[in-house]
Amino acid sequence: MEFSRIEPSGNPPENYLIFAILMTIFCCWPVGIFAILKATKVRELWAMGDEVGAQKAADDAKKLTIWGAVAAFVLIIIPVIILFSMGIFATLMDAA
Amino acid sequence: MQLKTFHKIGLITVLLLSFVFVYYFFNPASNFFIPCPFHYLTGFYCPGCGSQRAIHLLLHGDVFGAFRFNPLMVLTLPILIYGLGLTLANWIFGTQKRFMLFYSKLFIFGYFGLAILFWILRNLPFYPFNLLAPTA
Repeated sequence: MEFSRIEPSGNPPENYLIFAILMTIFCCWPVGIFAILKATKVRELWAMGDEVGAQKAADDAKKLTIWGAVAAFVLIIIPVIILFSMGIFATLMDAA
Repeated sequence: MQLKTFHKIGLITVLLLSFVFVYYFFNPASNFFIPCPFHYLTGFYCPGCGSQRAIHLLLHGDVFGAFRFNPLMVLTLPILIYGLGLTLANWIFGTQKRFMLFYSKLFIFGYFGLAILFWILRNLPFYPFNLLAPTA
């Protein structure tokens, strides 16, 4: 790394990229892309010696991960509700 | 809520075993599995479509079949498992280990670009791109 000379010692904050990837592939890339951008910022700010900024970007990435989880839950619930209501409807039709 | 290390390991083990159990003994192609909401609502495939069926086949040792359902997921599974494993290990043992690949801009944008490209290509309804669609 070209700017490692001013990089703080120790590890950069957790950037939650694994969840950003999972979000992008499996669920909601609109949230995923913001999480990915925040994740790259963590490293960038850390390499510049901005520990506070890096931590803030990491916290933002974490928030986006939580939003992604909420969005995923809502998205998964939609087909479940539709399928269940169709099932109930079919049962009612059979009974009639 | 502070869980003890022992409890965390127990919790993860139970979740992992139930996951393996469900995906080993039931085929997502014809069962009670939740369909991909994106595919269900739009009819298009998302970059993750076919993953449940691919995991089922992988657990049965059919790497080629799994590859047919979702090549992107199968190819990047080692990275996903390592990343998730490290995150879980950090949570369980309170460590701060990092997977430095996840801090590389080249990897991050390369992977994201690949996922978007894969998403578009697998929805093209002609050869050879229709091979990327998750159909048996």
